[in-house]
Amino acid sequence: MRPVAVAGVGKTPFGAFADRDLRSLAVDAGEKCLKNGHVNPGQVEAFYLGNFAGPSFSGQNHLAPYVSTALGIRDVPATRFEAACASGGAAFFHAFSAVASGIYDVVLVVGVEKMTSQPTARVTEILAGAGDCSGEIKAGSTFPSLFAMIARRHMFQYGTTREHLAAVAVKNHANGALNPEAHMRKVITMEQALNARPVAEPLGLYDCSLISDGAAAVLLIAADRARDFVEKPVQILGVAQASDFVALDQKPDITTFPAVRRAAEKAYAMAGVTPRDIQFAEVHDCFSIAEIVALEDLGFVDRGSGGPYEASGATSRTGEKPINASGGLKSKGHPVGATGVAQICDVVAQIRCEAGEMQLKRNSLGLAQNLGGSGASCVVSILGNV
Amino acid sequence: MTGTVYTETVVHLAPEAFAKDVPYQVAIVSLEDGSRITSRIVGERVAIDDRVKQVGIRDGVPFFRKLT
Repeated sequence: MRPVAVAGVGKTPFGAFADRDLRSLAVDAGEKCLKNGHVNPGQVEAFYLGNFAGPSFSGQNHLAPYVSTALGIRDVPATRFEAACASGGAAFFHAFSAVASGIYDVVLVVGVEKMTSQPTARVTEILAGAGDCSGEIKAGSTFPSLFAMIARRHMFQYGTTREHLAAVAVKNHANGALNPEAHMRKVITMEQALNARPVAEPLGLYDCSLISDGAAAVLLIAADRARDFVEKPVQILGVAQASDFVALDQKPDITTFPAVRRAAEKAYAMAGVTPRDIQFAEVHDCFSIAEIVALEDLGFVDRGSGGPYEASGATSRTGEKPINASGGLKSKGHPVGATGVAQICDVVAQIRCEAGEMQLKRNSLGLAQNLGGSGASCVVSILGNV
Repeated sequence: MTGTVYTETVVHLAPEAFAKDVPYQVAIVSLEDGSRITSRIVGERVAIDDRVKQVGIRDGVPFFRKLT
């Protein structure tokens, strides 16, 4: 396996864009990324698209060549990856694998989702397709309700409180207010978070990420060629994907995600680092409880102590382990297929010192964790300066 | 069939198919054979560790009620 670098990144703002369709968002991010990496469409040897539910949202299928040809990328393999909310991460992981194994030198990854063309009830229904439709979904579970049941159990087993959950939302909204491309740039108070209308108890409106449109792209180049294109390539030090049961009721303990633990262990081993070495991370806060569980599964804190750790301020921009300095899915937005790729873009921006007002001081080793469904898919990536 | 509530939530925002039921309670119930099933709760609200008894089934989904 040979080293692989990220040589370019590109993103659209995240938000609700009535005048933009899936392809125009994806092309926008892809063009920015190619320009950023000083690569022409003709130099791209394969195209990997992360997208969860484009066909359900718009009716359009066969999305990878639909997007790649619009970018001017012809003839080469163009394939869509679907792993629920980890679709972007899965596309990134497989693109990395292909470059690392020597099949290609230059690969473009784009993640995209266009969600706001449908009313919220229909979006909820489409997202529920990431759960087990033969059981939990038929019983009336929604994604907020699956994570609400995780939160309830976490509270029961470890004493996690509503205030701990709210601390995640307050912190990520404060971070997102500094992100010019975030969907909701709005600071919220603890009282607002605690008193928001319930979605699935104990989760309220501010415990849930947003329904967004958006796209993100990264350019992967074999490390020994990356400096031919850009001055500051960022190395992919470790990346791994893992899987688990789709149905929440099949997991022995729903307060931990084995797929996250396995992907993290492999990524740490590949990078030769420990959780303590990671200076900052973008984690999959689709719901406030998900960030708390992620801190535990990534080994940043012991099991059950994620809530108090959040409330202590340790995960804030100025804390010992800044988490979701971009605002996370909560404030930046969560265009499902784009999310995993956008996390990589955000980590790369920090490492390159290009994060503007979001810039962190300790920025040389970052991690991204992208979760699919209620833990059935996970991709963990570790990036750094070399 | 009886079981114990492993976890639960009350759903306030639902897809169209369930909109008429809102708010409704969903629970993962641990059965005596050690397996778990996602189910709906009727009647009084339940909490973790409450004992429940199956009172019906709809479209393969079991409905449980709190045992008093």
